[in-house]
Amino acid sequence: MRALGKGSLASILAVLLHITRIILWIAFIALSIAIITIPVLPVLIKLVAGIDGGSFSSDINIDTDDILDIVLHFVTFGVLIYSINRLLEILKTLRFGTPFVKENAVRFTRVGFALMIGEGAKLMFGIISVIVDANLEMEIELISWLAIAAVFVLAAVFREGARMKEEQDLTV
Amino acid sequence: MSISVKLDRVLLDHGMSLTELSERVGVTIANLSILKTGKAKAIRFSTLEAICRELNCQPGDILFFDDEELAVEAAE
Repeated sequence: MRALGKGSLASILAVLLHITRIILWIAFIALSIAIITIPVLPVLIKLVAGIDGGSFSSDINIDTDDILDIVLHFVTFGVLIYSINRLLEILKTLRFGTPFVKENAVRFTRVGFALMIGEGAKLMFGIISVIVDANLEMEIELISWLAIAAVFVLAAVFREGARMKEEQDLTV
Repeated sequence: MSISVKLDRVLLDHGMSLTELSERVGVTIANLSILKTGKAKAIRFSTLEAICRELNCQPGDILFFDDEELAVEAAE
């Protein structure tokens, strides 16, 4: 498979990442709307029912589980959107034929930290869930932490690659 | 870098321009400029050989080892 150009792995990956980013943004916006509307939803329904002359009894109940879940989803979506943006920037440099630059090492490091924050948030919310007796699952996914380690290794590889590229460029 | 390049002096002695040297040794002007301005990190033997051949000089006429510069680098 070609490394650059149409039909290459990089271009397919870029398309997939663009689609994922759009989906994540939609989910992020939907979640934001839900956060704003859910607390006032019973009031709104009561108002509408009142205008119609009917009566309404709400069984919508937002407990700690839901709040924790929503905040965790916010963090997760934020981390994913941030990471995808950085990966798209890296793919852009690959498209221009200059992937081994210091900036890409920094981008990979940032992705690593972002993913670490995401996983850390999962753990933290799990602990909070235990403390407040909420029903949020706390799980340590080894594969996620391995992926984070892989991203940091990639960052180190890119840093070294950038150094070698610079040396090669300055070899006469 | 404690190695300095004195290409401009040798070029002056031979009355040759950088463009002319570039054409003769088959190295781009951009790369020769990197060498001339001391920005180069390494020089290939093939490039050094071509330069010495065209300028009729020894590698030691172009490259110098600066002891003081090394001391400054070590201090940093």
